[in-house]
Order: sequence, then structure tokens, then C-alpha cells
Amino acid sequence: MNGKPMERRPNQLTSMAVEDGLRDLRNRTLAKLDGDFARLVYLASTRDYNTGRYAHDGLSFRFTESVAERVLAEAHREVFASLALSPLKILVTQLEQYIRSGCARPDELLASWRELEPFRILAPEHDDPITVKLFASNIRVALAIVKESWRANQLL
Amino acid sequence: MTGALTLLAIGFLLIASLVYLLRRRGLEEEDVPWLRDEDSGIPSAHSEDHRKGQLDRIFGCEDWDFIRKSTSSRVQQLFLKERKGIALSWLSRLRREARTGMRLHVARVRASEELDPLAELRLAIDYYAFQAKCGLIAAILLLGGPMALRNMVGQAESLSNNLRGMLEAALKPDAFSQRTRVR
Repeated sequence: MNGKPMERRPNQLTSMAVEDGLRDLRNRTLAKLDGDFARLVYLASTRDYNTGRYAHDGLSFRFTESVAERVLAEAHREVFASLALSPLKILVTQLEQYIRSGCARPDELLASWRELEPFRILAPEHDDPITVKLFASNIRVALAIVKESWRANQLL
Repeated sequence: MTGALTLLAIGFLLIASLVYLLRRRGLEEEDVPWLRDEDSGIPSAHSEDHRKGQLDRIFGCEDWDFIRKSTSSRVQQLFLKERKGIALSWLSRLRREARTGMRLHVARVRASEELDPLAELRLAIDYYAFQAKCGLIAAILLLGGPMALRNMVGQAESLSNNLRGMLEAALKPDAFSQRTRVR
């Protein structure tokens, strides 16, 4: 109204940077990954096991470390929420897609996932405990289904 | 005569329960997700969607239909065992939240000089009815086997709504502060 550009508060600037960062992460990195399950594994891997803090060199370089951390935490929560409450049928499809992507031999992956349950660390921090339990439970069932269908395909 | 005595005994029991609750010391802090919001304690639209999604997933038929049609009996048993565990965890959390809400309410009531015994009695009845309903559903789950889980989404939702209504009534800041102002 008075001809001056509207001033933006630091909080607004940070939330805009987080929005930009999220767009950047989705377009440059997550879009290249095959399916939501691969995205979840990738995002969980950007979190330090000891500190629980997220880090990403590219995002930190383009924005700041704290913006990168918020972007990764937000993306992690989004992908986890969409998978954790999705129907089991979809989760099985996503898991099969992840196994087919060739990150490990299917029999090895299935055996180690059933034995060690590494999927327990895929949940973001402070998420609803029942949703986290439901996710782990659904993965156990999905692994059993995928194992059965993989064995059946081996016998054919 | 016998009927009047029974009613008197029930009334006495309820009053004794209320006195026990009021005298109970040590407010145990437990994790109550929808009490974290400092403003109202009422869940947001996002958490409401999340709650509905969670209920559908745990108690709905969609996943069971998929499992029943396309997997072996071994996987079906695993699925039912897993879902039963999740359902019991969900119920146990609901009971814990109600207990915490009630303790918060009792702590506030203790500091109040304008106690409304009738409203407190009504709340105590609601609370024990809620706990009994939770116990009943847990018993159905445990005794009726995993198959009892099917089509329980309605009961689960009504239970969750009961808890919300009870906690909203017990912990609503405006209504409560007007009625229970400490002088």
C-alpha cells in the first residue's frame, strides 16, 4: 500500500526455504528412487544413528544445515505416514518393488530383514507409537507374503 | 425394599470410588497425545484424519480380505496374531489416556472450592463405564480369537469418541476455570 515491499520475518523466510528445500529434494533426489519404500529407506539413512539428526551435503550447501535438517525430517514424516497407514496390498507391492530394485539378493534380503528386523529404524522420531507398531507389524506380514510368492516363483 | 437397598449400595459404591479418586495422591505424568496442545487439548483436523486412518487399518476388513483371498493359512494366522497385538496396544493406550485425563481432572478439582458433586458423579460414572467397555472389547479380542477383530471398526471408533467427549468435558479450560476458580 505504501509502495514499500512487504518485509518478511525470519520465521517466514525459514518456512519458505523449507518449502523450496522440500521441492528440491523431491525433484532432484526422491523422484529418482523407485517407489515410496526406497524413499523411506533413503530418508531414514540420512539420519545419524547416534544423534538422531538429519544431514544432507547437497541441501546444506544450497540452503543451510538447519533448513536441510527440517526438510529431511518433514519428507521422512510424509513418506512414513503414507506407507504406515496404506493398505497391506500396497505395502506388499512397494516392498516387492524395493526388492526388485536390486539393492541385495532377494533371498538374502528377506532372510536378514526377517531375522534382524532393520525396518524398525525406518520410523521417524516422535511419531505416534501405535502407527510405528502397526508399520513394523505390517512389514512382518508383507515379508511373509513376499517370501511365499518368491519361493513359488523359484519353483516354477 | 431390596431394590432400594441395591440402589443405595450402588450409590454408596460410586461415592466411595469418587472419594478414592479425589484422595489419590501423585499425579502420574503419562503421554496423552491430544493433551499436548496447550491451547485446547482438542485434536486438530490432521490428527483426526490420522486417527481415522489408524482405526480403519487396525479394525477394518480391507487388509483381512486381501490376506484371506491371496495368502496361505500360515500368513493368515500371522496377520491375525499381529493385528490382535496392535488392537490390544491401541485399547491399552486408550485406557491409559482416560486414566491420565481423569487424574488431571481430579488434580484440578482438588484445588477448587466450587465442586459440583452431581457433575463429578456423572463424570465418574462415564469414566467407569468407559473402562468397562474397554475391558469388554479386550475380553472379546482375547477370548473370541482373532476373528473377533473383524468389523470392530465401529465399536473402536465409538470408544475413541467416548474418550474424546469425556476428556473434553473434564478438561475444557474455559468452562472449568469459571466453575472451579480458586479464591
